[in-house]
Amino acid sequence: MQLVLDPDIICCVPGETTLTELDNIEALDRAYRSRLLRFVAYSTGDQDLAESIVQDCLLKAYNARASFRGDCAVYTWLAHIATNLIKDHQRSRKFQFWRTIQKTAPDLSEMSSLLPSSESSPESQILARERAQQVSAVLDTLSVNQRTIFLLRFIEEMDLQEICDATGMQISTVKTHLHRAVKAVRQKLGGKA
Amino acid sequence: MQPTHLTHLTDEQFTDLLLGTSPASVQAHLKACPQCAEEAARVSGAIGSFQQQTRLWAERRAASQPALTSQRQPIFEWLHRPAAWTTAGLAIALTVGISVSVHKSHQQPMHGQQQAAVSQHPVVKQQISAATIKADNELLSAIDGELRADESSSMSAYGLIPSAHGSHSRAPKRVSNE
Repeated sequence: MQLVLDPDIICCVPGETTLTELDNIEALDRAYRSRLLRFVAYSTGDQDLAESIVQDCLLKAYNARASFRGDCAVYTWLAHIATNLIKDHQRSRKFQFWRTIQKTAPDLSEMSSLLPSSESSPESQILARERAQQVSAVLDTLSVNQRTIFLLRFIEEMDLQEICDATGMQISTVKTHLHRAVKAVRQKLGGKA
Repeated sequence: MQPTHLTHLTDEQFTDLLLGTSPASVQAHLKACPQCAEEAARVSGAIGSFQQQTRLWAERRAASQPALTSQRQPIFEWLHRPAAWTTAGLAIALTVGISVSVHKSHQQPMHGQQQAAVSQHPVVKQQISAATIKADNELLSAIDGELRADESSSMSAYGLIPSAHGSHSRAPKRVSNE
């Protein structure tokens, strides 16, 4: 399915214009690949698929850079493209089939070794790893929309308006998804909800 | 000591707290309720840990991938090189020349043998065919005679007379050379 990029969908809060960033694909790749990869990998739960989507996303953004008006952050625009690509993949039957048999979820145990050792004691690191794994486990139980919005808010630190721009949802819908996601995380981490 | 008159934070209040949009009343509650304060710290700490670990994972993963470049490698780049074309042409000419010469060298001694085989073949076929046809016809006549004798004996046992133009005539069809 062909993704149609409609710049009119995005009506962002005026932000810094970084058109030069979009003109240089190497700079675009350097600046946003890891952020996009994290977002897409945890949205889809599949790191191999995430790499493919991120690659597509950066190329689409680069090819459609003329349609970017510069009235929102580049990352918001990229997140919008990535969100559409994720939806595209999730709609396809091939994705549904292959996901069940060859899903390669991001490995949190691999991540634990990356924690800066100077920051905390080994006990704290183990605790932090366990908590992160709990959050990761909760994300698996959320719906696609809840997970996407949770990630955009708490991992990508986007504000609600930016999330609306990136997902094309109303702010009330975003708040509802966010509320449900937080409730699930709170329950998992031993809350009272 | 936890004040008993306070209800704990609702999910909406908790979400607002995490979003940083909680009103002053929620902040006041947190100061008075260590249970909610501890829970808020635990959840936000977990999200923070997850954020940090996923960032490090993504950075490492992204660094291991080939970077996108604007200088596209043209597809079939060698097509644009004259030297490559010359080499390819020479290679094709050489291959065709060798194969043609090998083919000719194999074909010449075989040619005479093939002609002889072709000229002998009809004769052999004709001899075998005539002998076989004659033997087959004799065999069929003999079988037919035996069958007629069997039919007439079994019918006469029941007092039946065989018709001259029976529908189940087993007259042998003579085999011809055609």
